[in-house]
Amino acid sequence: MPSRHAAIRAAITGLALLSGISALSVQPAQAIPAFARKYTLDCVACHTAPPRLNTFGERFLENGYQLPGTEDGGTTGKKSLGDLNLDDFANYTGVRLRGNVLRSHQFKQQNPPVAERGMVHNNSEFGFPEIFSLFTAGSLTKNIGFFAELESNLEESSTGIERAFMTFNNLGGNNLANIRVGRIDPSATFSFSTLRQQLEFVGESVHPSTNMVQRAGLFPLAASAKFYGLRNRSGSVISPYAPSLYNAVAETGIEVRGRPFGDWFMYQIGMLNGANETFGDSNRGKDVYGAVRFDYARTAHFSASLSGFAYLGNSNATVLTETGQADVNWHRYGIAAHVRYKMFDLYGMYTLDRIAHVPAAALASFDTSASGLSLALDTYVTNRTLLSLRYDHMDAGGDLSQRTSQSFAGFQLKQYLRSNVALFARTDLNLRRAEDGNAAARNLRHALFAGIDIAY
Amino acid sequence: MHVTHLKYITILIVMGLCASTAQAVKPPLNRDTLAEGRRIYEQACAWCHGIGGEGDGPAGWFIGRYSSPRPRNFVKDGYKLRSTASGELPTDQDLFKVITQGIPGVMPAYRSLNEQERWQVIAYLKSWNPAFEEEQPVPLTFPSGARGPTEAGIQNGRNLYVKYDCRVCHGDNGEGDGPEATAGHLRDTYELPIRATKLTDPSSFKNGASPQDMFRTLMTGMDGTPMPAYANEFAGQEEALWELVWYLRSLSGHEGS
Repeated sequence: MPSRHAAIRAAITGLALLSGISALSVQPAQAIPAFARKYTLDCVACHTAPPRLNTFGERFLENGYQLPGTEDGGTTGKKSLGDLNLDDFANYTGVRLRGNVLRSHQFKQQNPPVAERGMVHNNSEFGFPEIFSLFTAGSLTKNIGFFAELESNLEESSTGIERAFMTFNNLGGNNLANIRVGRIDPSATFSFSTLRQQLEFVGESVHPSTNMVQRAGLFPLAASAKFYGLRNRSGSVISPYAPSLYNAVAETGIEVRGRPFGDWFMYQIGMLNGANETFGDSNRGKDVYGAVRFDYARTAHFSASLSGFAYLGNSNATVLTETGQADVNWHRYGIAAHVRYKMFDLYGMYTLDRIAHVPAAALASFDTSASGLSLALDTYVTNRTLLSLRYDHMDAGGDLSQRTSQSFAGFQLKQYLRSNVALFARTDLNLRRAEDGNAAARNLRHALFAGIDIAY
Repeated sequence: MHVTHLKYITILIVMGLCASTAQAVKPPLNRDTLAEGRRIYEQACAWCHGIGGEGDGPAGWFIGRYSSPRPRNFVKDGYKLRSTASGELPTDQDLFKVITQGIPGVMPAYRSLNEQERWQVIAYLKSWNPAFEEEQPVPLTFPSGARGPTEAGIQNGRNLYVKYDCRVCHGDNGEGDGPEATAGHLRDTYELPIRATKLTDPSSFKNGASPQDMFRTLMTGMDGTPMPAYANEFAGQEEALWELVWYLRSLSGHEGS
């Protein structure tokens, strides 16, 4: 196992280097991205550690980017120009640059049969931060807010609007009904938010012609699609690692949520064009979802929540049969919880996916259920060092000839040079036994990353 | 005729000042006021200060994490930001000012609460500390720096900066890098490490960055932190204290008032 030892040595060296760099560069934390600029606050007023929100940040988000308990959209930080209230541009706009400058993947079997030649092999490579996000958000006026995020991902060769929506808040009374409409992330206010992970998504590798997964992705698997061989309505294969349905990064639709009985209870109902729809609605059927969240957030530096959701798809995916593609209904049910005490932030989610209306002819080779579990813990081990752990498990469904369940554990140390500039080193270990053959989820044994995360 | 105009202008200025201090909308202290204050507090303030006002709200930990400041404990802590002498409670106007202007870096300005709501919150948070019923906080008097900054005054201010050992914490040039600060010896009353203010960056001044704010901070100190009050040292020598203020202002490139 020389490659494994080499990787461990590299990890230790990387972490030591990271510690060395950070020890030389500790400076007062003053850096302030967009909302922090507007309210002259440090990032940690709203975040435990960006992008994770603390309780204050969660309520700020729920209130449509207004201070909790207030309707400040028309005033705070703005200049009055006639009947316009405008923020300084910098108070609306932020950027984030993140990604890996070093990554290493180690496999059990080099380029197994059917894998793309040269793609699946032990390698360590240098890169540069590959994901750049530009976002603009704020309140246009009292109780009307907006959010838009443009993301460019060099590795995926994609640039486009990730999320873009309007918010209408406190309709009918304080926190009674808050509406988001546009391209939204449904799980934004859930106990486990897809987008608020310390361990970034690491993309899978898919064979360009066979669509077979060659290298497993490293994702919060409870949020992932979990099915092999499932296709969207245009016929493209949906990656089993793609965040989807209620846990999608963004889908187009409308939702209403509120806390009509006080802070302890939140409801959420929504309707989307469908899973993996790009623009428009290809089948005119709508997916619907509902969620509830129970909160305890009072005192002694403690908060906790328990959430549950049901997402009901309507012809939102297809499976291949001998006669062509057949529409299926892809549903998901999930529960999640978070517990936060002082520097500890523990959160997790379990999801169960079901696919209904699979044609009888396909059922013999297609598992219609799948489940996923993600558990994460973030904790500061020093004032500037964040340790993150995540366990991911997927009981995969779908095409029986491809599906492979997987379990990974990820460890990350993030060193904040300033509150908006962090270096990280991360390693992910496969907890399942290695297998020969094609199973990407078993063949990838471990991975190592080092990179940077900057928000400004 | 000119005198009459001057009177009108003076009256308008006074009216404007009165309006800005917002005392007119201060509600009576009764159960309704406290109930409304509690409602607002629990929606806007409790996330950091805690539902019981003890500074232990679920979001409060992350503001300082392992360092100062932590959110104020309204039940038993003293107050940093005051116009009263060291060790005394703040005036209502002091509390109103903090809620209205916020504290750079750690607390947002709650101008989005209307003035009456701010007064209601103040009434509620004062109800936790019985000392507010027993004492009537009296602000110190702060004479204006009538002469303004002069080159000689700024130089004298520098001498005072050295004489009173400001440099021990704030550093020779006000960069917050004095020997006590860099050695990590500065602690608040909870023994949490605390940074010396970087005097070259007025936007980070927690008690305000105007000359009057700085004069007040020097007079009152910041209770609970290593920043002492200099009211006794400068008793009867307010003009010298203004010279220190002008020197501190000069560190960030401000020459005038």
